[in-house]
Amino acid sequence: MTRLVDVPAQFDDRSFDQFAGAFAEAAKDGGRLLFDAHAAEWASPYGLVGLLVAGQAGRGGGGGGVGGGGGGGSTGTEKPLLTAPTQAEVLTYWARAGFFREAADLFEVHGRVPKLKAQDESDVLLPVTPVRAAEDVHAVVSKIQQRASAILASELGLDPKATMGFAMALSEACQNIVEHAGTGGWVAVQRYHWRQKLGRRVVVIAVADAGVGFRHSLEPTQSKRFGARWGDAAALEAALIQGVSRFRDPGRGQGLAGIRRYLARWDGKIAIRSGTARIAIVPKWDDDVPLKDGLPPFPGAQVLIIIPEPESTRR
Amino acid sequence: MIQHIDVHAVLQESVPGGGVYGDLVTRPTGRVVREQIERAIATAAVARVDFTGVGCIDYSCADEIVAKLLRERPAVLVLSGISDAHREAIEPVLAGHGLAALIEGPGGALETLGAPEAAAVLLEELVARRLAARTPGGTFALTLA
Repeated sequence: MTRLVDVPAQFDDRSFDQFAGAFAEAAKDGGRLLFDAHAAEWASPYGLVGLLVAGQAGRGGGGGGVGGGGGGGSTGTEKPLLTAPTQAEVLTYWARAGFFREAADLFEVHGRVPKLKAQDESDVLLPVTPVRAAEDVHAVVSKIQQRASAILASELGLDPKATMGFAMALSEACQNIVEHAGTGGWVAVQRYHWRQKLGRRVVVIAVADAGVGFRHSLEPTQSKRFGARWGDAAALEAALIQGVSRFRDPGRGQGLAGIRRYLARWDGKIAIRSGTARIAIVPKWDDDVPLKDGLPPFPGAQVLIIIPEPESTRR
Repeated sequence: MIQHIDVHAVLQESVPGGGVYGDLVTRPTGRVVREQIERAIATAAVARVDFTGVGCIDYSCADEIVAKLLRERPAVLVLSGISDAHREAIEPVLAGHGLAALIEGPGGALETLGAPEAAAVLLEELVARRLAARTPGGTFALTLA
């Protein structure tokens, strides 16, 4: 029996839990999944890479399954179904952002998908790009430096030092997939003008995987320390706030710590969702909550990084 | 004599795709590059590790290469060709470990990067071993060519 998963019309980090809830509910019976995005009006990079993760896990190919603990999703190899957005401009954007190039391997896509190549133009600084190995991180960093550095400095008004740190932050975020997920994932980078919310331009990095998640990754070294508190929220807190890594090497844990330092300096935001929890370092301009637990389970880990245009360069 | 290490060349030789990419990113890349450097400086007293031509260094590579080389101390290490971006990655990693590194500027002047206490000890040791000396301008420079 086919189970329906509605893709929110405005699909971003704010509506992601609604999507995760629908996915968890539909996936628990093990039937074939139908992701219905026909009414989608807009999707952020976070929404697009999250949808790919659901497609991977929904096919039973993900390392984590629903809840990051294995199992979940349909257990066969039949691809889940995806109805593409019906609005032409939405379809064009999803194609330009590289979504359908990746979705073709994961979903049986229904709808009139435009034959557009993923493009590094306009607002798309980095189309949806797979990250499976260290070589992919090299390619992402190289591409973002060629493409984005000039844009970040000239149009977003970021200090050249901020654009250098941007590549570092992107590299570390992608490496979390390679080092910890146990499976591949995706990254996408886009810039926006957040007129209503912030009145400033921002650059958004979204990284997502359907891997084992933070709790599973850190469990062997951290669960005893946390005792009864151990769970997805505690694992995220250990990783992001305490800089804990699953590796015993004292130099480990530099990645997220480095991202935090970079974001603190440039007034940026990071949020990480894994399993049933979500943690965020919330700057003054945002009203997000620092920690949420008891969310609908979702496979792997999803990272959102937002870097705003400095107020001094606001135009 | 000072052993000169061209990190960009090491990256290109030792990493698949290194000829295409000029960035020191990811742990596996850092590990391979560090091992190559360790082999090259195994018998040297002083090594000048030159980062000229290297684009981005991420925190993982800063730890895997610079922090680990300093911790294992196969030789006195002097970093050169260090850009502001490289400093951004290396400095907090060294400070976190309580380590310090010597940076050689374009004119040969030495400065330190990392934990201040470790930096002071490092400079004192170098002067005591006559590997570095105070210049007339008040800075420090290597005494070896």
